Amino acid sequence: MRLLLLEDDAILGEGLRDFLRADGHVVDWFTAVRDAAAAHGEPYDALLVDWQLPDGSGLDWLRSLRQRGDNTPVLLLTARDRLSDRIHGLDSGADDYLVKPFEPEELVARIRAVRRRLSGAASPRLRIGDVELDLSARAVSVGGARVELTAREWALLEALALRAGRIVSKADLDRLVLGFHAEVSSNALEVHVSSLRRKLGRELIETVRGLGYRLLPAEPPP
Amino acid sequence: MSLPSARSAALPSIRRRLSRLLLALSVAWGLAVSGVVWLAVSHEVDELLDDTLRASADILLGLLLVDSESLLASGRAALPDPSHDERFAWQLVGPGPRVLLRSSMAPAEPWLPQPTLGFADADANAQQRWRVYGARFGGERVLYVAQSRAERREALVEVSLSSVLAALFVGLLTAAWLRARVRRELAPLTALSSVLARYEPLEPGAALEPPQREELVPIHDAIDALGRRLASRLASERAFTAHAAHALRTPLAGIDAQLAVALRECPAELQPRLQRVRSAAGRLSRVVAALLALFRSGVELNRQPVDLAGLLQRLPVEGLVVDVVAPAWIDADPDLLAAALLNLLDNAVRYGAGRVEVTVSGQAVRLHDDGRGVDGPRRQRMQAALDRQVADSADGGAGGLGLGLMLADLVARAHGGRVVLPAAGPGFTVELWLAAPDDNQTC
Repeated sequence: MRLLLLEDDAILGEGLRDFLRADGHVVDWFTAVRDAAAAHGEPYDALLVDWQLPDGSGLDWLRSLRQRGDNTPVLLLTARDRLSDRIHGLDSGADDYLVKPFEPEELVARIRAVRRRLSGAASPRLRIGDVELDLSARAVSVGGARVELTAREWALLEALALRAGRIVSKADLDRLVLGFHAEVSSNALEVHVSSLRRKLGRELIETVRGLGYRLLPAEPPP
Repeated sequence: MSLPSARSAALPSIRRRLSRLLLALSVAWGLAVSGVVWLAVSHEVDELLDDTLRASADILLGLLLVDSESLLASGRAALPDPSHDERFAWQLVGPGPRVLLRSSMAPAEPWLPQPTLGFADADANAQQRWRVYGARFGGERVLYVAQSRAERREALVEVSLSSVLAALFVGLLTAAWLRARVRRELAPLTALSSVLARYEPLEPGAALEPPQREELVPIHDAIDALGRRLASRLASERAFTAHAAHALRTPLAGIDAQLAVALRECPAELQPRLQRVRSAAGRLSRVVAALLALFRSGVELNRQPVDLAGLLQRLPVEGLVVDVVAPAWIDADPDLLAAALLNLLDNAVRYGAGRVEVTVSGQAVRLHDDGRGVDGPRRQRMQAALDRQVADSADGGAGGLGLGLMLADLVARAHGGRVVLPAAGPGFTVELWLAAPDDNQTC
């Protein structure tokens, strides 16, 4: 997933960024609301936002996003643990609320849960034809046989799976999978798409000419 | 805060004291006035009656001088009874102790054995005492005019009694009026009490209503200032806890995130060590969270029914099996209770426990573990330290009361209870009372 992390504390920000990257996500870390707002033209799977930041309130930014009709999932990461704060945070448009200190493993699980809900599936397991995906275990199998994917291949599959049945533009996919480094090699995406097709079957990823790619709609899990 | 509490009933009351004082003053005033009136009146009445006596004697003397011989010659010793009550009696005596003539009420014997002129008291007959005035009636004869002393006393008593009664009546009336007045004058004090009872200095924009009397201004101002100080102190403490929460929670999250990354990246032989660091950091996080919750709780206790089994499920302590004996519902602030339980479970692990049994009985949570426990004297010292609400510094740190028990005790006290360490077989037992413990009914 491509994640935007807005956290001004260097130790926590760096720790989370590295943890999430090690988990296979593309992470852009910002320490000020201003910078995050500038970067948010990019497509993100989720925004991880601290409440109190040196140049403003993460919550205010979240509210302005929601007012503009932006539905990107937002997880608030904050030291504020009062019940009233939690209610205020969630009512301002946050999809989830994590009180510091939290364990990064929990953060990752919550990001996945929020993202999954957005894609309309409650279960982390998806079934598309004879391909079975487990988004939390990051495992994929074809006809019951487990298939090994590279981190980039997984990221691409996950990005499409979270938007299964919908067309995802090539530019967006580039950003979602490769982040700001997308332009480094412009045909990297095609390479990953073709290797996924080779491993999981040609018909799984459909090319919609001129628009992008689409993963076949998922069926309910068995 | 109701005013007529048992405590206020035991204290002296300004109103009652003033009322009593005024009543006593009024009665004393009435009695003093009566005494003075008695003295003045008795003297005046005496003088007045004596004057009347002499005047009567003078008139009688005049009458007798005109026509005494015929009266004497008539041979009647006593005059007949008049139709009205006689106030005065008279005798014409002499020469010698011979009564020549007398009024009907006068005795047959002369009042005085020796001829006496002027005023005298004739007390020879105890039954009837007289006040007598003697006047010379030509030669050896004496005219006595007398009034019974009982009659004189009756007049005096009548006059004095009415003045005493009047004085007492006025005194009591004054007392009653002053009493009502005192009540009215003290009304602003009662009003101030109810204003204070309604006063919530911690609520934003709270202000005391202005005082109604000059004398209440200092009290009013002092309480107002106290309220302001309290509110500003609380505001700064809230700001401090919010700041402290941020300052403590963020680095703790950072430490954990960094350790999580390090654990993934480090060589296998370093992993156990880093894992231990991470679990220690996790414990630190929980203690900090509990302390923050506790510092904040002074203001608001969010009491509600809590399912202990559910609560404990969310508080996993590594290496410890927690058995909750159902049903395990208790009225408590869930955050504070979680903080206390976490610390107690943490303690259990540190003292070698592998299993903890949690029971709820009334308003108490009892935790019994299979750890090393503590010996009797040590347990008593710990209980004493808890009762004094101080850490046993001589025994200090992990060996003494420890942060966990102190924190649990603070949580219990925040709920109106305390921590009790009962003597119970092997292992360690701690009871977290969330209401005042009933000594006959420890669980």
